[in-house]
Amino acid sequence: MTKADYYCSVKLSRCRCCQSKFFNESIRMLRQPLTRALALKSPTRAAPLAARCQATQIQPQPDKVEVFIDDKPVYVLPGTTILQATAQAGVEIPRFCYHERLAVAGNCRMCLVEVEKSPKPAAACAMPVMKGMRVKTNSDLTRKAREGVMEFLLVNHPLDCPICDQGGECDLQDQSMAFGSDKSRFTDIHFSGKRAVEDKDVGPLIKTIMTRCIHCTRCIRFASEVAGVDDFGTTGRGTDMQVGTYVEKMFLSELSGNIIDLCPVGALTSKPYSFAARPWETRRIDSVDVLDPLGSNIVVTTRTNEVLRILPRTNEEINEEWLSDKSRFACDGLKRQRLVTPMLTDSRGNLTPVEWEDAIVAAARALRDCPPEKLLVVAGDMADAESLMALKDLANKLGSENVCTEQYFPLEGAGIDLRSSYLLNTKIANVEDADFVLLIGTNVRFEAPLLNARIRKAYVHKETDIALIGPQVDLTYDYLHVGESASIVKDLATGTSSHEVMKRLQQAKRPIVILGADQLKTPEGSALLAYTQELALKVQEKLADKEWKVLNVLQRTASQVAALDIGYKPGVGKLLQSGPKVVYLLGADNGVVSRDQLPKDAVVIYQGHHGDNGAAIADIVLPGAAYTEKRATYVNAEGRAQQTLVAVTPPGKAREDWKIIRALSEVVGERLPYDNLDEIRDRLSQVSPALVNYGNVQDNNYFAQARALAQSLQKPISGKMDVQLKQLEDYFMTDSISRASPTMAKCVQAVLKQKQSSY
Amino acid sequence: MLKAVSRAAGLAKTQLSKSLPALSTCSVRLQTCPPDPTCIKEAWKIENESIISMPDEQRQKNALESTITVPTKVDLTPVNGVPEEHIKTRRVRIYKPSKNAMQSGTNNIHHWEMEFDNRQRWENPLMGWTSTGDPLSNMKIQFSSPDEAIEHCEKNGWMWYIDEPKIEKSEKPKNYGLNFSWNRRTRVSTK
Amino acid sequence: MAGALARVIQGTKSHLGLVGPLVNISNVPVRFQQTQAPTKSKYGPLADCDRVFTNLYGRHEWRLKGALSRGDWYMTKEIILKGSDWIVNELKTSGLRGRGGAGFPTGMKWSFMQKPSDGRPKYLVVNADEGEPGTCKDREIMRHDPHKLIEGCLIAGSAMGAQAAYIYIRGEFYNEASNLQVAIAEAYQAGLIGKNACGSGYDFDVFVHRGAGAYICGEETALIESIEGKQGKPRLKPPFPADIGLFGCPTTVNNVETIAVSPTICRRGGKWFASFGRTRNSGTKLFNISGHVNTPCTVEEEMSIPLKELIERHAGGVIGGWDNLLAVIPGGSSTPLIPKDVCSTAIMDFDGLVAAQTSLGTAAVIVMDRSTDIVKAIARLIMFYKHESCGQCTPCREGVSWMNKIMYRFVDGNASPKEIDMLWEISKQIEGHTICALGDGAAWPVQGLIRHFRPELERRMAEYAACNGPSKAERLY
Repeated sequence: MTKADYYCSVKLSRCRCCQSKFFNESIRMLRQPLTRALALKSPTRAAPLAARCQATQIQPQPDKVEVFIDDKPVYVLPGTTILQATAQAGVEIPRFCYHERLAVAGNCRMCLVEVEKSPKPAAACAMPVMKGMRVKTNSDLTRKAREGVMEFLLVNHPLDCPICDQGGECDLQDQSMAFGSDKSRFTDIHFSGKRAVEDKDVGPLIKTIMTRCIHCTRCIRFASEVAGVDDFGTTGRGTDMQVGTYVEKMFLSELSGNIIDLCPVGALTSKPYSFAARPWETRRIDSVDVLDPLGSNIVVTTRTNEVLRILPRTNEEINEEWLSDKSRFACDGLKRQRLVTPMLTDSRGNLTPVEWEDAIVAAARALRDCPPEKLLVVAGDMADAESLMALKDLANKLGSENVCTEQYFPLEGAGIDLRSSYLLNTKIANVEDADFVLLIGTNVRFEAPLLNARIRKAYVHKETDIALIGPQVDLTYDYLHVGESASIVKDLATGTSSHEVMKRLQQAKRPIVILGADQLKTPEGSALLAYTQELALKVQEKLADKEWKVLNVLQRTASQVAALDIGYKPGVGKLLQSGPKVVYLLGADNGVVSRDQLPKDAVVIYQGHHGDNGAAIADIVLPGAAYTEKRATYVNAEGRAQQTLVAVTPPGKAREDWKIIRALSEVVGERLPYDNLDEIRDRLSQVSPALVNYGNVQDNNYFAQARALAQSLQKPISGKMDVQLKQLEDYFMTDSISRASPTMAKCVQAVLKQKQSSY
Repeated sequence: MLKAVSRAAGLAKTQLSKSLPALSTCSVRLQTCPPDPTCIKEAWKIENESIISMPDEQRQKNALESTITVPTKVDLTPVNGVPEEHIKTRRVRIYKPSKNAMQSGTNNIHHWEMEFDNRQRWENPLMGWTSTGDPLSNMKIQFSSPDEAIEHCEKNGWMWYIDEPKIEKSEKPKNYGLNFSWNRRTRVSTK
Repeated sequence: MAGALARVIQGTKSHLGLVGPLVNISNVPVRFQQTQAPTKSKYGPLADCDRVFTNLYGRHEWRLKGALSRGDWYMTKEIILKGSDWIVNELKTSGLRGRGGAGFPTGMKWSFMQKPSDGRPKYLVVNADEGEPGTCKDREIMRHDPHKLIEGCLIAGSAMGAQAAYIYIRGEFYNEASNLQVAIAEAYQAGLIGKNACGSGYDFDVFVHRGAGAYICGEETALIESIEGKQGKPRLKPPFPADIGLFGCPTTVNNVETIAVSPTICRRGGKWFASFGRTRNSGTKLFNISGHVNTPCTVEEEMSIPLKELIERHAGGVIGGWDNLLAVIPGGSSTPLIPKDVCSTAIMDFDGLVAAQTSLGTAAVIVMDRSTDIVKAIARLIMFYKHESCGQCTPCREGVSWMNKIMYRFVDGNASPKEIDMLWEISKQIEGHTICALGDGAAWPVQGLIRHFRPELERRMAEYAACNGPSKAERLY
């Protein structure tokens, strides 16, 4: 058995019923990394036959109740709603207000179904099933009820579908086709016409056309339940009811874009995307977001080689079906400030466009002439695993070990040798099962908005309590603020603290500790990490649930985990002080390396996609591809490898990053041994099979070893913790793509303006 | 020749057995009659075509009528005319289409699809339509299971990989009453 | 022990009935006999001694002193000490049905609250948000006999083990709220409610919560929402308030009249109360007669009294005589109207009016004589419902405003006769499809109008078409 096979099969899926477990397992086996097939062969297909053994027989289950959906028996948990039961039976009931991730409202009445022996139709979304209940989802009564509701909804809904951005992906359109009447009898159109409602201004992201609103209140529920910003609500009553913020105000949330998705009609649409395209003329490419460390699954919508918008894609283990605003709206930054051609500094020090050949030759010359110890490679926020791998191989071939990332992580103790020291070990989906969350020096809300949404979900639905050590920030939920000093962590770890948090941690059945990676760059970082490991392990050892992981480190960037897996050194620190002669920046735009830190004659090669901080100090610019333009591997904060897909091709002369490095290696004379993506991924799997185990995440369990190695680092600490992103305005522009995005700039402005308002 | 005749006879027999209406035109059913009218001895009907056809034609006809057994591993690449570059360099992604986040309906996503890696598109300057030089760019084929998709890809010599969606949810009953719960945070504050 | 106590007191039951109210010495034994004889054919008029609300017209003192003189708070302690089962049983025997409109048997409703406690407190909520056009019974109770209500709260509360009663009073009832508040203060001071209420060892608080003028807050779940400080928007049922109600706790919502008659029922016995009216419709009831009658009034009468007798005896008859009658809305604005010929035979109780395709509702009789523009009258009612619809659920929000538009065109006749059927169908599309009963209440008047006055609607349309040419509404057909 190969190593990769081993990793694939060790981690069995933990599914509810055995049938789907069967299914999953087989698929997982299928999905052996392509790299196994070096000779351009597809994965072996021994297993897929097992996929066919999906049992479909429904067995009576003792703890479930039997209900009949259109005379078909279904077994569901007691308390399940009719709508959920019908979904199990494969019948989809039309709905507007119901959303499975929001509270039940029951006000659109579209889901009315006939229940035998009940005089009135029941709202399927709210009505719990009773034993032996007989539901008729397609009876005359049901259809009549739907048709009636549909007619009422259309009475005041403007028929402006031709100019509505929702057209083509509108629930109201679809459901009126499926369940509505074929003709109108709204004679009053000749007399009083329809209701018109004034539009609201809720910020630069969401366009409101409130006349189209059907008052499903999904946006209201999202705002108060998921986003935790209780600004939305209804005013007025009857036909005068309006949805809006009570006073005109921006929707100050980092998850605001989701209400565009939630809106079943065109009342809330995307402002940047308005009048841009129709859904049927676009192509949808499944991909992965890299603007935050979580690697949310996205769908990139394109037309004619242009990214039009980004939508979330359901992934229960990461982002459910939400997406943070930066990930969603920063895509217009992909069209601006791009590096479209290779550039070299001319005699006057200005970057001038050149051909690839010249740029590669110049870069190769610089690399070749550089003494190995004077070469410094710095990888940035959005570098993919393939280019990281290729660049490290190239540097190694040139005799240099100076490959590092911008983001720091302490190397003392276990350092980055044990994967569990730098990952989100609990895993995002499990966070919602936690019963106590201790946040140390992180503002999760802006560093990983969807992780925060998960914590909030646990807070709301599981009564989870949260404590925070670090600067007091608005996390959208109540938390216990323990203090700002790092010494609190020490006290907790050594057991000298009598704080309530200690008690809560010890009592909790599933506690988690999340440490912000930003705290580790201070001189006390290693001690803080050591104490956090100590604390987490102490708590974890006492848990009844032996599978539960307590320690989490929340990285800040999408590239960091992959870089550490590959063997990059975190942080430029000493390497920069040693006066490098050639600095190779792989998308390093955070300003960690600046000209004044470098010797005068140092050559800076910048490879990346945006003309940002990195390109500004470069002598040689090699234009690379952004995450929507390459098929590349990213590893998220949990250690889950995922790949982006090519949605559009890189602009101008820009090329995929690993190919640039491969080409460069040839000119340098140290040819890298991979010619295509499969081969470089094979190389990745040699380094770590986890890097190509797409979609899956494996458990890491070396906490005790990490603690043992870190014993000596437990030194007194006293510093005050601080986080970079404190307010909403800090959140929007954090990397080269979002800094280039005009929408994000508008957001910052709007938030600052809103701050001046008295509301 | 004999074989052909007997074969034709066999054919005729089955035809006869299908057209059951009795051979007798008498309205009274004879008890002595054997129950199955097809058992009555009668000269086999021989079709004219099988008599006049040449042995070669007969052989061809037989061949056409019989089933063809194909080796399990099929490689269509030599015959399907797809340029080699589009076989060797292309990669097929087998996936389940994702639900459109903008809508709540889930029709048309309960199948598996295959698509090729995406290549460059541009706007045609004449009409503003989207153009591409990729002949496979629109080849999205639907399958009911990943197995079928894999089989199809292997037949055509394409490399494939499976993208399994992570959409499995735990079964959690929704509860309207939680909105008004007295001691839980699910209590709603507004409408 | 409690059982024994109850049994002992049970023995004195007949005495209790006898000595209860001040003025019933002569009649009570007769009544008891009557319950033995099931065949009672004549209902009403109610004898003065059988009236529950003896200060309905405010001729006497409404404060505690006056209330005591009328027999309120008499032996309340003993009633409470008989235990909740006894009270609920008595209510069940009395056959009292909710006086707020829906007519749900009160005893049964209270018995839902007797489930073993799961740690949550229980509440009694009194619905004093009397907003139904035509109805003016609860305000009379609250301003002239508030102690009946407070005592009722205590008894009902003890029957269901409630911790407190919330009286949700309509915002417009300023004087009533103020009288009620004074009465509550008096009761607290006299130790009748509060800690150890009436010395029974039972702690019970009564709070008054004033509404802000929304009709929908008279719907029980909207009322609960409103008390909780949220917008008064009804909740779906299930869960019923008896399961998850006020502040998420088991709650019973009762009408003022229902609560206010319960002490008298307990004192005089359920059988006494059951002796009035037809079976399943027993008791006395406050009727409000308004509109085109000579003397509009609120009067307590026996259930099952014929409508004609009610109007003629208490309201001085229809203006211009019975023949001048056009139609009657028998149970408050949300019930379908009945034309004159039906009125002559209608029996004023739950079943009698259901037989007449209408409903008793709150027993607010709105009388309309021939001078009434019946279409405009119904249109005005629909406008009221349109204004009061909470806007939460689709059929009511959109449907009622649409009906309103159509109805006002019908007033002028600017409509197509085919729209009458359409309107009927729209009202059917609203009815039963909404979260609460407001949609039903808005649909019924329209249905009543179409059922009984279709020729009138058609006449107006023909008239309009003759003057102005065909209506624009014809275009769609």
